[in-house]
Amino acid sequence: MNGNRQTDKLVAQNVSVLYEKDETSFLAVDDVSLSIQEGEFVVIVGPSGCGKTTFMNTLAGLVRPAKGKVFMDGEEIAGPSAERGVVFQQFALFPWKTAYENIEFGLKYRGIPKEQRDEIVRKYIRLVKLDGFENSFPHELSGGMKQRVAIARVYANRPQVLLMDEPFGALDAQTRTIMQEDLTEMFMTEKRTVVFITHSVEEAIYLGDRVVIMTARPGKFKKIIRITEEDLVPDRRNLGYDEVVNLKEFRDLKGEIWGLIKAEILEKHIL
Amino acid sequence: MGRLGETMLDRIYQEKLVLSLISILGFLLLWYAVTDLFGLMPAIILPSPEKVFFTIYEKILVPVGEEKLFGHVGVSLVRILVGTGIALGLAIPLGILMGWYENLDAMASPIIEVLRPIPPIAWIPLAILWFGIGLGSKVFIIAIGVFFPTLINTYLGVKFVEPLLIKAAQTLGAKDKDILWEVIVPASVPLIVAGVRIGVGLGMMCLVAAELVAASSGLGYLIMLGGDDLKPELSITGMILIGILGLIADRMILGIERRVVFWKKE
Repeated sequence: MNGNRQTDKLVAQNVSVLYEKDETSFLAVDDVSLSIQEGEFVVIVGPSGCGKTTFMNTLAGLVRPAKGKVFMDGEEIAGPSAERGVVFQQFALFPWKTAYENIEFGLKYRGIPKEQRDEIVRKYIRLVKLDGFENSFPHELSGGMKQRVAIARVYANRPQVLLMDEPFGALDAQTRTIMQEDLTEMFMTEKRTVVFITHSVEEAIYLGDRVVIMTARPGKFKKIIRITEEDLVPDRRNLGYDEVVNLKEFRDLKGEIWGLIKAEILEKHIL
Repeated sequence: MGRLGETMLDRIYQEKLVLSLISILGFLLLWYAVTDLFGLMPAIILPSPEKVFFTIYEKILVPVGEEKLFGHVGVSLVRILVGTGIALGLAIPLGILMGWYENLDAMASPIIEVLRPIPPIAWIPLAILWFGIGLGSKVFIIAIGVFFPTLINTYLGVKFVEPLLIKAAQTLGAKDKDILWEVIVPASVPLIVAGVRIGVGLGMMCLVAAELVAASSGLGYLIMLGGDDLKPELSITGMILIGILGLIADRMILGIERRVVFWKKE
C-alpha cells in the first residue's frame, strides 16, 4: 500500500468496477487509486456518467470492485457501515416516516436513549432549517427540503466518513450557499473525512482540500488538484462563499478545472 | 386545495352520484319492463324486482331452512372472516419471509407454483373428506382462495422494495433484521393490501362455491335452494346479498389501504 498508513482514512487500491446492464457489462471505473487522509475533504468532479457515483459506492461498501481493494483504517471494506454515511443523490428517504423519524433512524441502531435522540434530531432539524416540518412526510416536502432531511439524517448519525453524492443539487442557490458554509464550518469544527461529488466546479473549489477530476467513461482520474496543500486559494475556509468566488485565484482555478472537464466532454463526444 | 377547487370537486362528485343513481334506476326499470310490464319473461324464469324485494322482506322475518335471512348472512360472514383471517395470518408472514430469505424461496416456490393454479373449488371434495360439511370445509376453501393472491403479492412487494432504501438503511447502521421490520415490511404494504383485496374477492367466490356444494345454511345455500325449489327469487336474493357483502368488504379494504398507504403519492 502506498501513502502513510497511519493517517490514511480511506484507501482505494487499483479499483475497477464492472457494471452490468441488460446482459452486457461495461467498465464503469478503470483502475483508480486514491488515499484519503483522516479529516480530508475530497471532491470528485467529472462529466455525467463517468463513474463518480459508482466509485463512491465502492467506498460506501455498496458496490464490490471487480478488481482492486478498498480500505478504511487499514481494514478492507466488506460491506456498508454506519461509519461511512451516505447522502444519496435521490435522497432515499423512508416515505412512510416523518422528517423527524427519518433523521432519528440511524440513532436507534447506535443505542442512543430516546431523550438524547430527541435532542440530536432537533439540533439537526434546526441546522437544516426544517423547524415546523418535523412531522411532515417526504411526499409533503419540496425537493430541496427532502434533500435537507437526507443530509440531516446522515449528519445526525455522526459517521467518521461522509460520502455525499451531489447533496446540494436540488437546493436553490441561497440555501445551497448556506448549506455549503455550514458544511465547511462543521467540517472545520468536527474534523470528519468527506468525499463529495458535485457538478459545480465552484462548489468543488470552495469545499475541497483536493479536487479529483475524472475522465468520461470508463472513469479514471484525469487530474488531482491539491488546493489546501499547495494553498491555491488562500484563506478560503475563513471566508464566505460569495467572497471566495470573487478571488482571482478562485477564478483562475475554476477556469483550469472547467477546461479539463470540457476537453473530456469534447474528446469523447459525450454531448 | 382552495375553496374553489373543493366546491368544484364536490360538484363533479354530485354529478357522478346522480349518474350512478340514474343507471341503477334504469336497470331496475328494464328488469321491471321485461317481467311485470311486458311479461317477456315468465316469473318462473326471471321473477320481477318487486317479487325479489318482497322475498327479501319475507325471508328477513320467516326462516328458510335453519335460519332467517340475516342468519344466513351471518353464517356466511363468519365463514369468510375466519377463512380470510387464517389465510392472511399464513400468507403475509410466509410471503415476507420468502421474499427476504432466498433459501426459503427456493424451497417453497416449487410447491407453491404447482398448488397455485389449482382452482380453489377443486379442493372441495378433499375439504369435505378432511373437515366434514361444517364450518371447517368452507373455511378451508375460502382460505385457499385468499391465500395465494395474498402470498404472491406480499412476495412481490418484498422483491420490489426500492433497493436504494435498503442501501440507505444499511449505511445508517441497520442490520438485516432491522431492515426487514423497518424497511421491507412497510415498503411492501401497498402490494400486500392490493393482494388482500384480490384475495378477498376470490374468497367470496369460494364461499359461494363451497356453500353450493355442501351446506344447510349460508347465502350459497339459499342460491342453491332457489334452484332446487324452482324459486329463482330466492337465488336472486342470495346473489344480491353476496354482491352487497362483497362491495362492503372491498370498500373496507380500500379504506384501510388509503389509511396505511397514505405516503405513496408522487
